[in-house]
Amino acid sequence: MDAHEIKEGRVEDRAVEEPAILPEWMAEFEAAARRPLETRFRYAFIRTHKPVMDDAPFRAFDTTADYRRWCEENLPDWLGYGRV
Amino acid sequence: MAAFEYRQAQEIRECFQRHGVRYLFLGKSGAILLGFPDTTQDADLFVEKTPENGAALVPALRELGFALSEDQAAEVERGKDFIQLKNGPFDLDLVFAPDGIERFSDAWRRRVEVEGFPVCHIDDIIASKAATNRQKDRESLPRLRSFREYWMRQRKS
Repeated sequence: MDAHEIKEGRVEDRAVEEPAILPEWMAEFEAAARRPLETRFRYAFIRTHKPVMDDAPFRAFDTTADYRRWCEENLPDWLGYGRV
Repeated sequence: MAAFEYRQAQEIRECFQRHGVRYLFLGKSGAILLGFPDTTQDADLFVEKTPENGAALVPALRELGFALSEDQAAEVERGKDFIQLKNGPFDLDLVFAPDGIERFSDAWRRRVEVEGFPVCHIDDIIASKAATNRQKDRESLPRLRSFREYWMRQRKS
């Protein structure tokens, strides 16, 4: 929907229809916005061992496509790195 | 290894600034900096792929505590497209050519500064996640797109 509509020879503002956000997500976004960044970090970054992925100290791939391919061929499916 | 901490992000920011490394937080770590409430394990940095930036990046990473051999340093300096570091105080993914973002300069122009952290715009984060087409990204995209709507409204108001 356009923000402006021509009506009787003049342009009138109209509210742009904004996509709905699920109420529970909205509550989470608002709660996060009230937290300092340091607290958001503490809640957000977690650590679990990812098999295969975490077993080498350094990996370098010539292309991003090589990296994606390596993930698909080597990581367990349940890690979610496979392409859909 | 413990989870990535705020003070480590500060160390990256200060160290990279001292060495003149051009980079942006990308991926879910970037979204979290923008305010997205979710969990992740890695910090993803979109690093500009130029010889000067590569040369600045190696000493910066070593100063942060990453144990790079000469061969590994050479690979970082050359700017391979994707480098995974698990040989330092925290895990770091260096992305020189993320899916869904054409040029670093475009992302840099659109960047958002959060407490001095340079972060990709939410649209670039979403574009990059959408382009990878991975299961884990596909699952997080609807919520990330909703967050984008919320974030854009907040910026307007």
